[in-house]
Amino acid sequence: MRSPRLTATILLVLVWLGAALAVFQSFVTAGLPIQIGVALVAHVTGMAAGYGAAIMLILMSRAPWLEYGVGAHRLARWHAWGGPTVIILTVVHALAAVLASAYAGSIDLMAAAKDVVGIPGLTSALAATVLLILVGIASLRVVRQRLSYEWWHFVHLLTYLAVALGFAHQLAGPDLAGRRWLQVAWSLLYTYAFALVLRWRLLQPLFQLWRHRLRVEQVWQESADVISVLMSGHHLDELRAEPGQFFRWRFLTGKTWRSAYPFSLSAPPAGDRLRITVKARGDGTRRIFTIPVGTLVFAEGPYGALTRRRRRRPRVLLIAGGVGITPMRALFEVIDLPGEDVTLVYRASREQDLVLKHELDEISERSGARVVYLVGPSTDTANDMSAHALNRIVGNLSDHDVYLCASPRLAARVRGSLMDRGFPRHQLHEERFSF
Amino acid sequence: MSDTAIEFGRRIPRIARLSIAAPPSLIRWTLRATTVVLFVGATAFGVSLGMSGPDSAPTSVVHHHTAASDQ
Repeated sequence: MRSPRLTATILLVLVWLGAALAVFQSFVTAGLPIQIGVALVAHVTGMAAGYGAAIMLILMSRAPWLEYGVGAHRLARWHAWGGPTVIILTVVHALAAVLASAYAGSIDLMAAAKDVVGIPGLTSALAATVLLILVGIASLRVVRQRLSYEWWHFVHLLTYLAVALGFAHQLAGPDLAGRRWLQVAWSLLYTYAFALVLRWRLLQPLFQLWRHRLRVEQVWQESADVISVLMSGHHLDELRAEPGQFFRWRFLTGKTWRSAYPFSLSAPPAGDRLRITVKARGDGTRRIFTIPVGTLVFAEGPYGALTRRRRRRPRVLLIAGGVGITPMRALFEVIDLPGEDVTLVYRASREQDLVLKHELDEISERSGARVVYLVGPSTDTANDMSAHALNRIVGNLSDHDVYLCASPRLAARVRGSLMDRGFPRHQLHEERFSF
Repeated sequence: MSDTAIEFGRRIPRIARLSIAAPPSLIRWTLRATTVVLFVGATAFGVSLGMSGPDSAPTSVVHHHTAASDQ
């Protein structure tokens, strides 16, 4: 199995090569001698934005070769960087085009803007730009925190419409118009991107719903704000879900069908049953608490490369913070090593936040693996999660593969400390969730 | 409302039976065939879109710029 890091590097090289070719085409159109100015900026940013939009669709298509090969958290990170970049490029392209038009026609900006919008096909491109700006605003941290997940998700879905609206303008743009084979290649980039999205984000989960008929079998409280949901279905072995992986779950009730939430399996798949453990983070996740038994479940996945197959070292350290225990709980049971070579460090603010504790203790007792609970304020030196402290807990840290799942803040602290200490990056495996 | 959702799932037993009874190999090949058909369609559509693309751009700011500079 090729490492996700290598696959990611190969993919990045290909993506950047494509970007370089797209930008190069702008210079070809400009011709010689190259005049640096707003006109050239308009062309370069236009081509780069068009190319980037298609790449963003592909990266978020949930195709298995991307999800398993590159890793969901890495894709999300690229998307978090690439999405805003495409929006900025689009806006700069629009502004530069108006400026260039004003300069070329010796007219004022308002007249130039009117001229540009009047160009055939530009109305849909303008609508695409407005939609992308809207998506960008909705994704700003300050706005995102005030929006419900459902609204944010809805606005985000407008991206597909924006990309489709912008396509016609790209094909008619001066960099592609009249260059038949370039137009064919550009069109194929877009039709393949949409085909990937259709195949893996729509057809696959619909098919899984039809084939597996996943339903909620039982819901129970783990703590005041954490529940577990047990689901059962048919032929679940065909999903090849592994401990450490996650699905995006959509519970088909009137109140919850609009939202798909990423939750890890909190226990290894057993026969035709899957279990997740959910912490209430807002109104959306709180609604899952009242899901009736028998509800159909639309599941996209399994995703994620945080599995035991990533292990290369003779020992394993699992680090969980809060509800990040869910994939670690599943992995803790199945790591194929003698118990003494497996350690789970579980960090929580309060004793009552230690969910699934009885199961962890049971596994520990059975396998001989060690569980270390770090409970209380983070200022307490006994709860130190630095590389130095972790090394003290497990002995020789460099002999370990480290699996990490915690809140973004705790994960960043642990990751930073490990990297500062020179812990090899390829021995750190983590899954980061963000909407 | 939630109960309605559950009932919706239970009202299609015939389709459910078909999906559950089908052997895994049939399911695998159906999915593969779906993927092939989808991408053949995407290829045909993409080529068709590209081949029928405009022959000339409505305008080019680069060309305008060059023309303006030349004057």
